[in-house]
Amino acid sequence: MGEQIVFGFAAAGAIGFSALVVALPGPFRATVSLIGALLSVAVIFVLLAAPFVAVIQVIVYAGAIVVLFLFVVAYLGERPLAGVADRLARYQVLAWIVVVVLAVQAVVVLATTRLAIREEPKPVGDIGSPEAIGRSFIDSYIVPFETTSLVLLIAAVGAVLLAKRAVQMERGR
Amino acid sequence: MSGVPLVFYLGVSAAMFLLGLLGVMTRRNPLLLLLAVELMLNGANIALVGFSRHWDTTDGQIFALVVMVVAAAEVVIGLGLVVAVFRQRLQLNVDDLARLRG
Repeated sequence: MGEQIVFGFAAAGAIGFSALVVALPGPFRATVSLIGALLSVAVIFVLLAAPFVAVIQVIVYAGAIVVLFLFVVAYLGERPLAGVADRLARYQVLAWIVVVVLAVQAVVVLATTRLAIREEPKPVGDIGSPEAIGRSFIDSYIVPFETTSLVLLIAAVGAVLLAKRAVQMERGR
Repeated sequence: MSGVPLVFYLGVSAAMFLLGLLGVMTRRNPLLLLLAVELMLNGANIALVGFSRHWDTTDGQIFALVVMVVAAAEVVIGLGLVVAVFRQRLQLNVDDLARLRG
């Protein structure tokens, strides 16, 4: 029973905060709502027997990424950016049509699938501990693991290059 | 009845993904667009971890962790672009950025 209550709160938080992220006008408020959504998702990860992923979610997402967002929002001074056009985009009707169609599709698939996803979940072994994750990374996913380090390195170099070029162009003006 | 069936988790996952998609398609401010992309990635992550639990294997969680790395890299580059554009011209609107093409 307890699990269902926790899941109810986490699911409501995840969907509610996500809606706020999409609906709130200013970037600062939307970013703060994103923190709520990310923490709710972390709770969902704990319920899904993935405590390590939940911890990483809090540290990397709710910690580092959101702080980066807030830093940029503070740097840009909440200067709004594309004011009026943000709300009445030309494609809004098209966007709603796409979203509604995909939502209907998701409901149909979830309602008719033959996978055993509507039953009581079976008990699982040790799949979420740091040890299990580490073993899986080293045993079967060593190449993706090393590739992620390369991706992060390239991203860091790219960010530095972008910043450098921007400074140079500013000087040249 | 003690646990929550997987279908509810998948429902939350789909809802988050679709909200993110709506945000990506309606917002014109690149910062808010990146926030919406984060929502989409998180929705996908819920599905990955959920199926990881369903099949009693660690693989889905590995994928979720890799997705987080990609998200971090994407945010770094995206925000770098936003700041670089902001320093050149004072209005941020992705529709105007079409001029950067080529």
